[in-house]
Amino acid sequence: MAFDKIKPPISLSILVLFGLILLLLQLMSSATQESSELSAMYSWLLLVNALGSVVLLGLVGANIYSLARQLKKREAGSRLTTRMVSLFVVLALAPAAIVFYFSMQFLHQGIDSWFNVEIDRAMEDALELSQASLDQRMRWHLRQTQQLTEKLVEAPETLATLEIENLRELSGASEMTLFSRQGRIIASSSINPGDILPSLPDEHTWLQLRQNSEYVALTPVRDDELMIRVIVTVKAKESQYLQALYPVPVRIADLADSVEFAFVRYQEMHFLRHSLKLSFSLALSLVLLMSLLAAIWVAFISIRNIVAPVKALVKGTQAVASGHYDQELPVIAQDDLGFLVESFNEMTHRIARASDETRMAGIEVENQRAYLETILANLTAGVISFDAGHKIRTANQAAYRIFRIHVNQFVGRTLLELVESYAELAEPLKSIQRLLEQADDIWQQRIAFLGPNGRQELLCRGTPLFSQEGFRVGAVVVFDDVTDLIQAQKNAAWGEVARRLAHEIKNPLTPIQLSAERLQHKLANKLADGDADMLQRSTTTIVQQVEAMKEMVDDFSEYAKPSKKQTVDIDLPRLVQEVLALYVLKSGVKFKADYDVGLLMVKGDPVSIRQVLHNLIKNALEAIDAKGLIEISLRRVQKNNTDFIEIALYDDGPGIKDEQIEQIFEPYVTTKAKGTGLGLAIVKKIIEEHGGAIWVDTSRKVGAGFIIQLPACNY
Amino acid sequence: MRALASNKASIWRSLLCCLFTLLPALGYADTFGVEVKNAEITLQGNSYVLSADMDYRLSARALEALQNGVPLYWDIHIKVQQHRDYFWDKTLASSGIRYRIQYHALLNMYRVRNEGSGELYNFSTLSAALDLMSTIHGFHVMDRPVGASTERYAVGIKVTLDRDALPLPLRPIAYTNPQWYLSSDWTLWPLIK
Repeated sequence: MAFDKIKPPISLSILVLFGLILLLLQLMSSATQESSELSAMYSWLLLVNALGSVVLLGLVGANIYSLARQLKKREAGSRLTTRMVSLFVVLALAPAAIVFYFSMQFLHQGIDSWFNVEIDRAMEDALELSQASLDQRMRWHLRQTQQLTEKLVEAPETLATLEIENLRELSGASEMTLFSRQGRIIASSSINPGDILPSLPDEHTWLQLRQNSEYVALTPVRDDELMIRVIVTVKAKESQYLQALYPVPVRIADLADSVEFAFVRYQEMHFLRHSLKLSFSLALSLVLLMSLLAAIWVAFISIRNIVAPVKALVKGTQAVASGHYDQELPVIAQDDLGFLVESFNEMTHRIARASDETRMAGIEVENQRAYLETILANLTAGVISFDAGHKIRTANQAAYRIFRIHVNQFVGRTLLELVESYAELAEPLKSIQRLLEQADDIWQQRIAFLGPNGRQELLCRGTPLFSQEGFRVGAVVVFDDVTDLIQAQKNAAWGEVARRLAHEIKNPLTPIQLSAERLQHKLANKLADGDADMLQRSTTTIVQQVEAMKEMVDDFSEYAKPSKKQTVDIDLPRLVQEVLALYVLKSGVKFKADYDVGLLMVKGDPVSIRQVLHNLIKNALEAIDAKGLIEISLRRVQKNNTDFIEIALYDDGPGIKDEQIEQIFEPYVTTKAKGTGLGLAIVKKIIEEHGGAIWVDTSRKVGAGFIIQLPACNY
Repeated sequence: MRALASNKASIWRSLLCCLFTLLPALGYADTFGVEVKNAEITLQGNSYVLSADMDYRLSARALEALQNGVPLYWDIHIKVQQHRDYFWDKTLASSGIRYRIQYHALLNMYRVRNEGSGELYNFSTLSAALDLMSTIHGFHVMDRPVGASTERYAVGIKVTLDRDALPLPLRPIAYTNPQWYLSSDWTLWPLIK
């Protein structure tokens, strides 16, 4: 971040770069002017520009390479960048190429147009003219000097200096020297008195002089002065030479110089024509290349900046698509793309919020479900839900408890499939299945069946479930085991009946009995024998029947009265043994007792339990008509993780008819001629008061059998 | 040509042969440039003076340029170095002569100018003009170096064509075309005290 802060803005960098490039190009352009001071730096500028181009080329190359890699990796935004860059390059390149092409054309044609045959010839002619003019002048001076030598003929050597002086003045020469063949100066005169030493010919001149005996040539003196040097042999004295230096008139010298300068320049330009073209083309190409490369590089940077938000958007969208809603993209610029990014951020916020709400709602639903499940699980009523195909979807703990079917065999199966495994539940399961298939509305039905623990009664309520479109999607069945409830209601009713009976009947019995005895007592002596006997029999009958009724009423009150239990630990084998001891003496009956090993203790009221045993044994004795076998077995069993002591009592009598089995424990149900029909009812009452159960063992084919289960004491 | 013999070895041999035959030819192609033919330094009085002969051979391109009025600038560099075992050699003295040679169409002359002294020389032939530049006679290099007798000194001479003084359009070409690589290398020889 700190780096970002100190980094200059990109636009500024670009401006600086362009400024630098322009400066370089301008410098190079200035350097191409021959007179410019920068001319000496031309090569360096060319090199720097070329290096700049190479650097730019490297930058552009690096950008292209990076873009190609991004394309290969299919990175977000890479294709857009490629398209934009390509478009830009094409758009920039096309006009640049056209301009370049025509510039080159104009350049070449322009340079070529400077030169043509006429100008060539004119230049050469001009030079020739100058040379001819100078030649003429030289010849004229030669002739003039030759004429002068004739005047030297007579003059003696001693007067030569004077003569030379005269001659020089006469001829207009700037210097005149007479020297010997050996180079010895005989006489000399100069227009400039300061020049003591005359200008002597060099070796080359000597050579020519010896060959031709005369010499005439233009001699540059100093930088821009021309002299015509004429040397001729003095005719009279063969061994002497006369040298005269004639100045070329300034005007002619200037003209010749000008012509030469122009000719040289022209020659040079002509010679440099191709180099010039090459040089200009090079400069032009370099300018174009640099500008183009810089433009492309800047295009890369700008396009990257433009595409950056798009790239971020694509990445953000991908992230949102894959479920990461916490996307916050930076808003770089307040333009359309910035607006888009802001909208995207707004959208992701909303999606994130919606997603959070959905998740919270899901958690809430899950909590509700768990709550309902807990409630369902703790209901005493069994709840089973079915799908459209009547397969069990869910069932609560109570359902398992009521049907006594293991959990893992319940879910995912139909009731009919369960029937195959649990034949004893066939009746209720089939009933429920039938109701499920038939009912279109809420239904309620009591289903009674004989379960493994005797008769059970279920109260079932079913509710078919429908989808919003009206299709049946399943059903919920709630059922309660109402066996105990119904039994309790019955028992309460019978208890009330018995209490009233006792109360209403017992009260008049004593007066009846007393009245009968009083009648007997008062009238026995007063009646005749026959009548007295009849009275005696009648009153005895009344008293006996009243006694019988009293017993019956006592039985009723016994049944009706609430139990007053004193709970102690009872050693059942011992108790059974004690009870059996009272009956063993009766002849004709065999008792067979069978006890499990170990402690067989129950908690309860010993008097009540003893009564239970008495009642059952009495019943059995009556059933077998006091001769036969009575079996009693005691064993420890386990049911629903609870230990029970099971007392099984069998006889080999005629047994109980099937139709009686269901009602045998109800009051006033008896198969005997005598009896109140309360024996078994009381037995059942006592057993239930002790938290146990009693039922008829229907599996026994011979005689009758009763099974009692009492909760065992756990030590 | 034995090289046309079937086996590969002979082809290789023939290629090598060709290479060795061509090498001198390549050498001949490089017949232009400046060469220091001989140089000597002598002690005259209290100072060292240099005499040297160089040979200027202009390439066709350079000759053409010269004849078309392009002035050529030549620098004769002279230096005296003290040899150091573990460091760069120390330059004790360096001096030079700069000549300009140009063709004058009007006079049909080659003019050589000593840029240092401003002296002008005119020659009707190129070889005469080059001859002037070729000879250095009694050029004062330096006063006698003061140092231990164990120290070693070397004198170097080198002639370069100043390409930066060429007309502008010619410069890029001069830097890239071998025809313009006319400068000599340093010719070094020990200085005898």
